Amino acid sequence: MNEKLEAAARLYEEAAKELDLAARHCEVAAQHFRDNLVPRGAAHAWAARGHLLEVEARLDEQAREHSRRSSV
Amino acid sequence: MSRGAYLLDLGLVPYGEAFELQRSLAGAVSQGAIPETVIFLEHPPVVTVGRRTETGELHIPDGAEVEIVETDRGGKSTFHGPGQLVCYPILDLTKHGKDVKLYVRNLEEALVRTLAAFDLDGELVEGLTGVWMTRPPRKIASIGVHVSRWVTTHGYALNVDLDPSPFTQWITACGLEDAAFTTMARELGRPITVEEVRTSAIAAIAELFDLELEELPADEGAGLWSQPIHASLAAR
Repeated sequence: MNEKLEAAARLYEEAAKELDLAARHCEVAAQHFRDNLVPRGAAHAWAARGHLLEVEARLDEQAREHSRRSSV
Repeated sequence: MSRGAYLLDLGLVPYGEAFELQRSLAGAVSQGAIPETVIFLEHPPVVTVGRRTETGELHIPDGAEVEIVETDRGGKSTFHGPGQLVCYPILDLTKHGKDVKLYVRNLEEALVRTLAAFDLDGELVEGLTGVWMTRPPRKIASIGVHVSRWVTTHGYALNVDLDPSPFTQWITACGLEDAAFTTMARELGRPITVEEVRTSAIAAIAELFDLELEELPADEGAGLWSQPIHASLAAR
């Protein structure tokens, strides 16, 4: 496989893992809020936000790279 | 000038949940999504195994009600349980001198000051980690940290009022043969709660790391604090 495509594949796999983690934290946050455990719920909510920002940063970088190479 | 930071008092939290939470919050701190955050909690009984744990350190009897968890912190094996005050600072060391040794020294000093608030003379012992009561030496607090992209996870565990026998009977805690372990209750000769100690522990961390800690209220206002993310959303 082309090295650049392999790098892109790895990037999207890592993004998927980050999104899985974000989803898990959202589920745990929901449960804690439902159980009236506010600080624990909030902590998981912030943790989810961290993973989303990590993904966003990586995908933005990929988009910028694509834009640099695009001939259209 | 002190920097604002979040303070989370999470109560009794299973080690695995706290571990995942720390790693993810470290990512959020690293991204600037949330301010630096200091977590205080207790764990249900758990033996944690660090990166330098050697085989033979664990001798947990059959039927012992304790979880065993591998971690990415430095150090050897240790025990956590209710009655132990655990502090996990999620700090960006680029704002604290970019010096891991200094960070650990500050954690040790925070523990010494926390103990001093109860007229206990915690000391450092040459060549050994953690904080000790001396003559004879007995360990009262353990330290184990992890730093990634200059953001810290893990922290310290202060024995407030718990049975310290698992440190020696279940494991060779910290890899120290024949070491004695103690608690604040044992040293003071009276029961003491984690809640009593937490206030002094928070003050010591705030002072050592020059933080203005803001605690999330436990009953209402979830997520209503001003956060960096709010400013970035407003700017869009």
